[in-house]
Amino acid sequence: MKFSTRIMIVDDEEMICESLQAWFVKDGYQVETALSGEAALKLVEDFPADIYLVDIKMPGMDGIEFLSRLKEHQPNAAVVMMTAHGTVQTAVDAMKRGATDYFCKPFDPDELSLFMERLLANKALREENIALKELLSEHHDGFFDVFIAHSNPMRAIFARIEEVAPSSAPILITGETGVGKDMVAKAIHFRSDRSCGPFLAVNCGSLSESLLESELFGHERGAFTGAIKARRGRLEMAHNGTLFLDEVGEISPKMQVSLLRALEEKSLLRLGGSQPIASDFRLISATHRDLPSLIKENQCRDDFYYRINVITIDVPPLRERLDDIPVLADHFLRRYNEETGKSLGGFTQKALDLLASYHWPGNIRELRNVVERAVVIARGRMIGVEELTFVNPRADAGSMGSMTLREYEINQIKATLESCNGNILRASKRLGIDRSTLMRKMKRYQLGRC
Amino acid sequence: MTRDRPGRSEESHIDIVPIGWVDALAVSVVAANLQTLIGLNAAALPSHPDPEYAYLPLRSQYAAGEIIKVLESIDDGARFKLGIVQCDLCTPILKFVFGESQLGGKAAVISLHRLRDKDSARTYLRAAKIGLHETGHLLGIGHCRIPDCLMAFVSSIEKLDGLPSRFCTACKYEISRSLNHIFGRT
Repeated sequence: MKFSTRIMIVDDEEMICESLQAWFVKDGYQVETALSGEAALKLVEDFPADIYLVDIKMPGMDGIEFLSRLKEHQPNAAVVMMTAHGTVQTAVDAMKRGATDYFCKPFDPDELSLFMERLLANKALREENIALKELLSEHHDGFFDVFIAHSNPMRAIFARIEEVAPSSAPILITGETGVGKDMVAKAIHFRSDRSCGPFLAVNCGSLSESLLESELFGHERGAFTGAIKARRGRLEMAHNGTLFLDEVGEISPKMQVSLLRALEEKSLLRLGGSQPIASDFRLISATHRDLPSLIKENQCRDDFYYRINVITIDVPPLRERLDDIPVLADHFLRRYNEETGKSLGGFTQKALDLLASYHWPGNIRELRNVVERAVVIARGRMIGVEELTFVNPRADAGSMGSMTLREYEINQIKATLESCNGNILRASKRLGIDRSTLMRKMKRYQLGRC
Repeated sequence: MTRDRPGRSEESHIDIVPIGWVDALAVSVVAANLQTLIGLNAAALPSHPDPEYAYLPLRSQYAAGEIIKVLESIDDGARFKLGIVQCDLCTPILKFVFGESQLGGKAAVISLHRLRDKDSARTYLRAAKIGLHETGHLLGIGHCRIPDCLMAFVSSIEKLDGLPSRFCTACKYEISRSLNHIFGRT
């Protein structure tokens, strides 16, 4: 934690600044000093510290005024007031105004050591608290959706998460859009030793190359037009935590080189910076693209691929785990019942059959949206076929329409065999029937393997 | 190898400078430990006068930083200077220090004042540990988070006594890399 902790010392006595700086630098902190409150406020732009050690009595802006001004910009910063003997009351007043603590100069070496340990423990607690609050808020954003599952493929995924979470090895999560790759990444983070550290996610597909570079590596003040103040990048902020790169297949080969270096050296350079910054983070990447084929097209470097792909987790699409659809649909129904104040009892059997027959190109996300829409428009006690509307209906499997049951069954078997490349065993599993039953039906309907 | 003869310090890597009256045996033990655990040739220079220039009447102590400045100004001799004093040292922020040094710098100082014990062997061992710690700082090594490494921050005499006389693997590697960089060793 020390490497990522920034300390600013604000004291008009140069000797105090130098002495404290020397001590903290030896202890592995990043330290800057300022000889006045005014100078410190200017420095905050370039060096937003985690902990400020501020002398109360200074000419011009005193420590109390600095504290008030700083809190406008950095309400969560820890500000520790320093005082000489005899001004303890002022320090206590400062604590009432939001200072974290105070100490009298000079101090006992043992006190300083314990004091810093306490501050760091508080910082860790604060960060853990923020992370837990985020997790709680994500409960409603679908954090647990991916874990509502009974199917064997998902049970295997849960076991894999438990298995790989404790290590620090990079993980690549693959799977179609909407299967919950980001939730799997979060689950790994919260089950790892880094769970007290930050979990930072970056969607690499949503940013231009230059913006992504600045987002990941941060920049120094003046590094480019518009860089009016220094900014920490996600790689730096993810120290002791997890960095989740979604849509990693969208990263340019040039940026892959920089990332590879940061991963191997566990340090990085901000844009326009010359000082390497140590950062120990775990990388979890996700993609819906086929990275090996991107390597063949020279859009992905093979060294980068092998570095991020130490462990692979492939999240299956919803259509390959039909067992999970009823439980997931029920889970969403309960959620949206609660949100809309309705009390729908469930799905009709026909509605469940329709949900199971749909091909779910948008996976869990699409199922959630379908159920949400159904809950909003439902008038009766149960959700029926008429309330279910799909964004991407598929003629052969999406809806029964005016088909007979026989036609519907033929279409369903054909579609499943096609998606399984004619593999009868896999198709029978997906259809939820025995291999022999499927073969009998294929014979009866005169269906080939594809 | 410890050499007490003056005028030979140009061959050494670190000069040990007794400032005021200092127990000669303590100087020898510190030098021997620097040689053994870090591999630095240490030479003991003749004593410097008492550091009256560093005395702080308000605290009845001596400013470690002022002594370091004087040691740093010595041009001849070895690249590094390690001062040893009997008096009590402090810094502007700490009530006392066992030693003080410049991180990656040229000079450091240690005090025997708070290391004294009725068993003189224990006093010398404590002095050696502090000398090794401060010399580690001169080689650019910061405080170590491993509690039983000599580069760990030690804030009390009890903790110092509990510390074994060895560096952790990582600090040992850093020291060796630093020596290689400074003295071109292989």
